[in-house]
Amino acid sequence: MEKPQLKIRKLPPCRAACPAHVNVQAYVSLIQRGKFREAVEIIRKDLPFPAICGRVCFSPCEDACARVNVDQSVAIRGLKRLVADIEREQGRVKGEPVPKKYSEKVAIIGAGPAGLTAAYELAKMGYPVTVFERMPEPGGMMRYGIPNFRLEKFVVANEIAYIQDIGVEIKTGVEFGKDITLEGLREEGYKAFFIAIGAQLGMKLNVPGEDLEGVISAVDFLRALATGKPLRVGERVAVIGGGNTAMDAARTAKKLGAKEVIVLYRRSREEMPAHPHEVELAEKDGVKFYFLVAPKRIIGENGKVKAIECIRMRLSEPDESGRRRPVPISFSEHQYEVDMVIPAIGQVVETSALPQELLNKDKGGMLIKYDPQTLETRIPGVFVGGDLATGPASIIEAVGAGKRAAISIHLYLRGRDPKEGLDETIEEVTWVKDWNMVNKKARRYDAPIEKPHLSLEEAMEYLMQLKKKARFEAFRCLGCGPCAECLAGVELCEGDKAVVDEVKCVGCNVCAVICPVGAIKKNDRGVAQVNEDLCKGCGLCAARCPENAIAMRKLSAEAIMAMISTALER
Amino acid sequence: MEMEAEPPKIVCFMCNWVFCGEELQVPYNFNVFRVPCIGRMDPVLILETFANGADGVMLVGCKPADCHFVDGNLHAERAVKMLKKLLNLAGLGHGRLKIILFSPLEDGNFDKYAKEFSEEIWVLGSSPLKNAELAPKITANLAAAKNAASAFRLRVLLGREEELTELENAYGERISEKDYDALLDDIVNAEFVRYKIHYLTRDKPLSVRQLAEMLGLKPSIVLRHITNMRRKGMISMYRVEGNTPLYKALEVH
Ligand SMILES: Cc1cc2nc3c(=O)[nH]c(=O)nc-3n(C[C@H](O)[C@H](O)[C@H](O)COP(=O)(O)OP(=O)(O)OC[C@H]3O[C@@H](n4cnc5c(N)ncnc54)[C@H](O)[C@@H]3O)c2cc1C
Ligand code: SF4
Ligand code: SF4
Repeated sequence: MEKPQLKIRKLPPCRAACPAHVNVQAYVSLIQRGKFREAVEIIRKDLPFPAICGRVCFSPCEDACARVNVDQSVAIRGLKRLVADIEREQGRVKGEPVPKKYSEKVAIIGAGPAGLTAAYELAKMGYPVTVFERMPEPGGMMRYGIPNFRLEKFVVANEIAYIQDIGVEIKTGVEFGKDITLEGLREEGYKAFFIAIGAQLGMKLNVPGEDLEGVISAVDFLRALATGKPLRVGERVAVIGGGNTAMDAARTAKKLGAKEVIVLYRRSREEMPAHPHEVELAEKDGVKFYFLVAPKRIIGENGKVKAIECIRMRLSEPDESGRRRPVPISFSEHQYEVDMVIPAIGQVVETSALPQELLNKDKGGMLIKYDPQTLETRIPGVFVGGDLATGPASIIEAVGAGKRAAISIHLYLRGRDPKEGLDETIEEVTWVKDWNMVNKKARRYDAPIEKPHLSLEEAMEYLMQLKKKARFEAFRCLGCGPCAECLAGVELCEGDKAVVDEVKCVGCNVCAVICPVGAIKKNDRGVAQVNEDLCKGCGLCAARCPENAIAMRKLSAEAIMAMISTALER
Repeated sequence: MEMEAEPPKIVCFMCNWVFCGEELQVPYNFNVFRVPCIGRMDPVLILETFANGADGVMLVGCKPADCHFVDGNLHAERAVKMLKKLLNLAGLGHGRLKIILFSPLEDGNFDKYAKEFSEEIWVLGSSPLKNAELAPKITANLAAAKNAASAFRLRVLLGREEELTELENAYGERISEKDYDALLDDIVNAEFVRYKIHYLTRDKPLSVRQLAEMLGLKPSIVLRHITNMRRKGMISMYRVEGNTPLYKALEVH
């Protein structure tokens, strides 16, 4: 079979790394110019959750940011949070309803970030979309998992309201597999389905004593709190696990008044999957960590937790995959006196709710049978994504899946192959060739914005000072991508490119020397040639070409002179 | 005392990245044009702006390290340095052209700078182009200046200043900034004079002595330029009057 010709899309590293491909460079450059509101609009084109992600995204963009080669990454997440908060200063921003263009109804199961994003994208395309959610409120783990002190509930509510504004219908309190089924929905006229019910079930420790009173999985614990159920927190709490969920549970327990909270993790600190920053904050909150210990049993008294017995572990030599497995050390059993145990060792999918055809029966493979690129399943018209398909991951990955699902569903409903949506490969670009040069010339605003984890009042106060700081911070961005990435000067810059008159060009190389992004080079005929993917349309080359051989497509010398002479005639 | 003086016309080329629109306030006699980078401003365009009757031209760019195009603002500064020399030679004076590298974050409001420049131009008065007596001469000078600013030599030198003064060439040599300045001075002078000669001899053949008088230069210097210009095909001997050769401009591309 012939390989299809893939379109290559050149993106700056930050945008390439983002699963939702948020146009970082564009909004950062708008922030430079103090255009905060416009910046949020740019974010919203790719991501319906600017304020949420501005707070709790794991920000793969920052890890990829080219600026790390010079000093530190641009504080992208902090900037995103800031612009989203500024926008809200004047009350919640309302979305414009999008007129329906198509008649095929789409059903989305699960109102987590994956489902909501798919609904948002499909509604923007003009499909009638309904989201079915079993909890009383939409939002998934953003609403019922991540605690309030990291992500305020009203922030989640606001951004979901925006999605409803544009025309998405959300039905809560409806459980798939019980209140509704695929067949039933088909009968109601739904033509395509996106199932994104997440991984909601806390994994069991599988040790004796797990059914004692006082043992509750981290997700159940956090969910109970978020639903406002009365919750008794122990005096001494043990949290089992080393991930972000464990950190959230531990910090929450501490904030609810537990005298002592200990985190028990079976590997060492280096192996902890939690974000180092989260670990730091937990320590600041007074959470204690014990490494290389694993629970063996939970000891009860009168049906309630009294202590947890653990065994010490050591790490094996790295195996073929380079991972060091924890190995129990014999006769190292010891006990911690606790009255509450919170296992936070992972989440699994509630497979019972799913149509059985979707499950992978052969052991070892993926839990759900699906195409990870198009998100199709073996049932026509049914797509899956988010934590359900990948296992517990992140909001932004769920958003990425939601966007992919929307494209696939659109193609499916138009009678086309969802694979058509995969017609591009992404290539990372940055024009910077010599990092030393950047260091010398561009780094003036050293102070990166601290990633704010603040209370609301503090944040508002902080916000005021931050506006100025943010613009300084934004100036640290190198603007890695090609011209069209920066939408800031649409009227002037966008699409302007240098054009070389090959007859006039004498090959003096002045343009190549002057071009800040290395977009112009002499070709093998000794004539200057513009690489349109790199050219940012600044016009420096045109302003210096000794032979007048370079013209700008939009802002030509003639265009400038015409403007001036009309202005001066007045 | 004059009656009501007309306010000076000021053209301001401002980098598109300097501020966002709503923060910008300028006096009413300012005509602001946004450009992607002030490095975009070809020196010829700036001279053309003066030829179009501007009394003052201001370039506003970002602070050195903030340039969106790495060092477009510094290229503009170099161009301004060269242009000031040309404007002096052309009789407009260097005070009518100003560049500032500005950041609203650090320097506050732009108003102040705009007003200041506007006042400077009030003091200088309107462009000599608007004076009927001076106009022909100034027009000729500006034409020569424009040609000089398009001259290959000068533009190559300008475009490569950074390379010449900051980096070493293949032989490990580097020109000091002082030497570069002197070189630039020489070339600006020479190109201006040559194009002035070219302009003056367009309609009427002239002798070295006549030219020297008109230009206020020593005849030996004029002769050197003419020799050079003949080699480049800019001028030729038209006829000899008595013992004195007369020169006339040739059409250049
Ligand atoms: C404690 C905790 C902290 C986290 N912190 C972060 C963080 O800081 N940053 C980050 O990026 N990610 C974080 N994550 C991960 C992130 O929240 C998830 O990866 C993301 O929410 C997954 O989105 P999803 O849409 O796939 O699933 P979910 O968010 O799980 O949403 C699934 C939705 O489907 C609903 N549902 C389930 N079953 C049914 C059914 N049968 N019928 C109808 N509806 C159903 C659920 O109620 C839920 O609303 C955290 C997760 C947890 C648990
Ligand atoms: S420097 Fe700017 S454009 Fe480049 S990767 Fe970082 S944020 Fe993106
Ligand atoms: S306009 Fe010229 S100098 Fe500017 S980026 Fe394009 S090729 Fe390079």
